[in-house]
Amino acid sequence: MTPKYDVIVIGAGLGGLSAATMLARNGLGVLLLERHNVPGGYATSFVRGRYEFEIALHELSGIGPPERPASLYRYLDDLGVADKVEFIRLPNLYRAVFPDLDITLPVGQEAFEAKLCHTFPHEAKGIRRFMQRVFDLRGDFIKIARQRGAGNPLTMPLRLPHFFRYLPTTWGSVLNRDVRDPRARALLSQYWGYYGLPPSKVSFLYFAMGLATYVKQGPVFPKGRSQALSNAFLATFEELGGEARMNCGAQQITTANGRVTGVITDEGQEIAADWIVSNADPITTCRDLIGRDKVPSSFFTRLQSSEVAASTVNVYLGVARSLEELGLTEHEIFINPDDDFDRHARGMRVIAPPEAISVTCYNAVYPEVSPPGTSVVVLTALMYGEPWVEVPPVEYVETKNRIGDAMIRQAETIAPGLREYAEVVEVSTPLTNMHYAGTMGGSIYGFSQPPRDNVVWRMGHRGPLDGLTFAGAWTQPGGGFETSMTSGQMAGGAILSKLKKMRREA
Amino acid sequence: MALEILYWLQDVREHLRVSRRRQALRRPGHGFDYTADQDTVRRVVSRLHPRRMRLRVTQVIQETPTARTFRFERTDGPLPPFRAGQYVNVFVDVDGVLTSRPYSIASAPPLSSPQAGGREALELTVRDKPDGFVAPYLLNEVRVGDELETTGPAGSFYYEPLIDGNDLVFLAGGSGITPFMSIIRDTLGRGEVTSPLHSPLHSPLHSPLHPPLHMHLLYGSRTPDDVICGDELTELAASHPNLDYALVISEPLPGYEGLTGFLDADLIREQVGRVLGKTFYICGPNVMVDFCLAALTELGVPRHKIKRELYGPPADVTQEPGWPEGLSAGTVFSVAVEGRESIQAPAGEPLLNSLERYGIVVPAVCRAGECSACRIRLLSGQVFMPAHTGLRESDRQYGYIHTCVSYPLTDLRLRL
Repeated sequence: MTPKYDVIVIGAGLGGLSAATMLARNGLGVLLLERHNVPGGYATSFVRGRYEFEIALHELSGIGPPERPASLYRYLDDLGVADKVEFIRLPNLYRAVFPDLDITLPVGQEAFEAKLCHTFPHEAKGIRRFMQRVFDLRGDFIKIARQRGAGNPLTMPLRLPHFFRYLPTTWGSVLNRDVRDPRARALLSQYWGYYGLPPSKVSFLYFAMGLATYVKQGPVFPKGRSQALSNAFLATFEELGGEARMNCGAQQITTANGRVTGVITDEGQEIAADWIVSNADPITTCRDLIGRDKVPSSFFTRLQSSEVAASTVNVYLGVARSLEELGLTEHEIFINPDDDFDRHARGMRVIAPPEAISVTCYNAVYPEVSPPGTSVVVLTALMYGEPWVEVPPVEYVETKNRIGDAMIRQAETIAPGLREYAEVVEVSTPLTNMHYAGTMGGSIYGFSQPPRDNVVWRMGHRGPLDGLTFAGAWTQPGGGFETSMTSGQMAGGAILSKLKKMRREA
Repeated sequence: MALEILYWLQDVREHLRVSRRRQALRRPGHGFDYTADQDTVRRVVSRLHPRRMRLRVTQVIQETPTARTFRFERTDGPLPPFRAGQYVNVFVDVDGVLTSRPYSIASAPPLSSPQAGGREALELTVRDKPDGFVAPYLLNEVRVGDELETTGPAGSFYYEPLIDGNDLVFLAGGSGITPFMSIIRDTLGRGEVTSPLHSPLHSPLHSPLHPPLHMHLLYGSRTPDDVICGDELTELAASHPNLDYALVISEPLPGYEGLTGFLDADLIREQVGRVLGKTFYICGPNVMVDFCLAALTELGVPRHKIKRELYGPPADVTQEPGWPEGLSAGTVFSVAVEGRESIQAPAGEPLLNSLERYGIVVPAVCRAGECSACRIRLLSGQVFMPAHTGLRESDRQYGYIHTCVSYPLTDLRLRL
């Protein structure tokens, strides 16, 4: 029997949507399965009363200004997705609040550095030197992208000296050499939550590439929230002849002779395909959907050095007051009790009020995000899933509300009235992320991102069985919105080049 | 320059260190062993949010001449925790039509030991409705020992200690009393009068800043005979200083001595006094909810202090603002569903119900427009959706509709 589909994509997260759309664009017959009733994974939204909440996106990278579109935009444009989405540019990166400092950092390399140097004149030289390193690395990445690969590893130290040198380093180890003032270090590391690990642990490559991209291109946000991006992907996918089924998960991946052959859906339907792209996490995919005994044990041995990354607690607030009335003017605000990000990160391992939170104000992106006179404010803290898994079900609501309460109190230090005028509140936890996205630990970045799991050394797209490919944050290039879409592009590319090779051989 | 060379050497040396670390973690017995567990996500999630539950009737209680309470035990796992005030959607097969209706849970949610007594059961109260489809079936056909399938608990009509404060006013109409029964039973049954958020167990903030939780229930009913759980409420109010209870009868017989009339502004003012600082909850028929909303607005209650349970589909959609003039409820349109036969759907019936009538089952949970479980794509044609439908901004743009509150205005083409 010839399979009806060339490819089945399991999961319509951004990685799955991206892979499915790019494969359909290249003429393959693709079936996309999603257990939830809306596409997007974390790139979705939900409605409560008269408010619609963005689930996860704070700032999107990779789009760039219209006159100089960046790599993600060019990819979306090739697919036919870009036209369907209006990207709104944000003028600032973030506002950082410390007990004794409140500063907003602007987009643009010169403006960003000038603001920091002006605030820390005694560190100006170090800050400039450090930012030079960040952009040197970016230069190497651009070279790699142009030549489509890093080339011969033996000559790499000469051709890509910065890339080679910083490959195994952490953000903190490099930063601490150039900048001494702990406050200046903290300001440069403020995005640490976007990469899931504190400066002393996170890969320099990830942080530097992320920061450089944000500073250079400026962050954007899609009108209609990230759901608009996911819906645009799905619409494009269907225009290209792809078939999508929502409310339809895969309960099993079938195999024969060391090759994947198809899936069995939650409803028990067997569907055959030549290729499977799994946007589910690799652990669930291989251990639960395929079965531990059918997967070479070397696969799990390799995963022993990869840790499931942190998840989040979010407090979604629909407030019957405008942002101006609440005193919230910036889109992204970080509240820090002090500079000790390592301590803040240790707090992610226990269920306790978080040390630091972000306050995301979506009406600052576009006012119509909620009805006139109201606002949507989302408080976010990173937390690991493990301790939440241990919470007895009957204590769950009280536990999450205790954390939510502390986060609202913390946000009220810069936005008094937030609680009093709140009309709708919803607290999500790592268990909520597990529920809707089906990921191990409710991880939002796939595997965590220390140097040993950086963009190069991270798990690739090829699965342990023939025909199985991974897409999503768990694989290269890594965790995040832009990177998840890139992973789908890479996963699709891997299948296409394999097909080409097979055709040549035939 | 010398320093930079030293840094460079340090960084290159890191290559070795990271590689060694990676190898060390991959030795047997080290690192992260993901094979030790199985089905982690599904197992953890299903304890809290089961997609489906099998419930067996253990008892049927005649509450009033027209209402019965069904007590259930779950047969396919422990009862999941829920928020007092939430509902389950009950699936039924009425004369071959697979459909569902949401019912608020009247019983209190499960507690941790040792107070757990009596909370392993789940209760739903069903009142007969004229022209009802599912209620008569449940009342007449379902007996002790029968099993029903439901969704897991859902909905956001509950007391939220994070923002609702401590002074609560419940406005109930008819069978709309059920979510309040759950909330009252839960609060009083815990034996604690403070808001759970600020209980001494968790917060040093148990202080005069957080006074005891006070509940004031105004229950509107047509006749005293229709009152559900009236005796229990009277007793609870008498023995708990933090519960006030007033029954308001709209169609009293001559000689009735209690409060009469509707839950209007005067009555609410007289009963609860100052409205400032109080949070109001409304549950009942759509007409009553609209009436109470107007009364509260008149009293100056700010909108963010009013919570209401979802409207079901309107009783008569042709009376909704925005309904096209001259289109009668009985006008029938042809609805083509991709991959299936075409069906005939009247303008006055939610599309979801029409589809179910033809054996096309669309996933549904709230059946009130908010949860988006029944979201499908409208490929061509036009539907009417009431203004309060919780449609995503981007879904609207792409032509998605929530079938449970969508009414055909033309012939349609749908993609499930």
